[in-house]
Amino acid sequence: MSDNTTHFGYQEVPVTEKVKKVGAVFDSVASKYDIMNDVMSMGVHRLWKWFALEVCAINEGERVLDIASGTGDLAAKHAERTGNEGLVIASDINNSMLSVGRDRLTDRGIIGNVQYVQADAEQLPFPDNYFDCITIAFGLRNVTNKDTALASMQRVLKPGGRLLVLEFSKPHSFLKGIYDTYSFKLLPLFGKVIAKDEDSYRYLAESIRMHPDQETLKTMALDAGFDQCDYMNMSGGIVAIHRAYKF
Amino acid sequence: MIDKKLLDILVCPVSKAPLIYDKSKNELICKASALAYPIRDGIPVMLESEARQISLEEKEQLR
Repeated sequence: MSDNTTHFGYQEVPVTEKVKKVGAVFDSVASKYDIMNDVMSMGVHRLWKWFALEVCAINEGERVLDIASGTGDLAAKHAERTGNEGLVIASDINNSMLSVGRDRLTDRGIIGNVQYVQADAEQLPFPDNYFDCITIAFGLRNVTNKDTALASMQRVLKPGGRLLVLEFSKPHSFLKGIYDTYSFKLLPLFGKVIAKDEDSYRYLAESIRMHPDQETLKTMALDAGFDQCDYMNMSGGIVAIHRAYKF
Repeated sequence: MIDKKLLDILVCPVSKAPLIYDKSKNELICKASALAYPIRDGIPVMLESEARQISLEEKEQLR
């Protein structure tokens, strides 16, 4: 891979193209994103997110940034936990996803302590040392320059703050056969039948494989300036939670 | 329209400088980078790629 290209699933595309291509995928899947997540993960994504939220342990009054907030699953819970004295900012680079998220949260009466900002994870529009906690669930793999994004998150995090990355990772070898069949045969099929969008779901499967594994992502977080990082595997490593601290 | 609380928090993603809200154009302006960020459907669009370069005259008027 040369300096000016990056991965878009298994394709190699110019860096400048990736943002547009990922944008098109999410414009295309936004309205059916929630139901597809349920189908694709057989409901397990709810457990992964629930566990990630427990690991976050948001306290009342904290300032929380949810990046790649999408349809707002995490932001909604953050808002409940931080309460009226706290603040949640839901941010996403994609307008379609953020609009769906805002409508969903507003319909559920979650207003007042949540704000919405369309932003790029690589260039966050927030002051230095501002947030107590930052979360990014199933978002980092779609970011073009992950190192830049991690450094940007480190900048806006307060000393003593924590970053939580929930993302697909590298499963244990005994799961390989079934996992491959599932993600390359069944996933695009589900995409075709339910969202009528086989290509977008093929991209999702491919992008998961191109994402750095557990140890690589940990090293990337430390290189980006975080002082400590650990991770936990879930579902045999299909998904991992990385927790990075700034001291 | 933009929430006052949010305006106080946001900075320019390029210069990291604070922003001025231009009510007439419904934009968030950064003098340091001379960029104006649109607010669409109540959501500030803080993307450099979507920002408008402001003219010298516009910059003068902000003083």
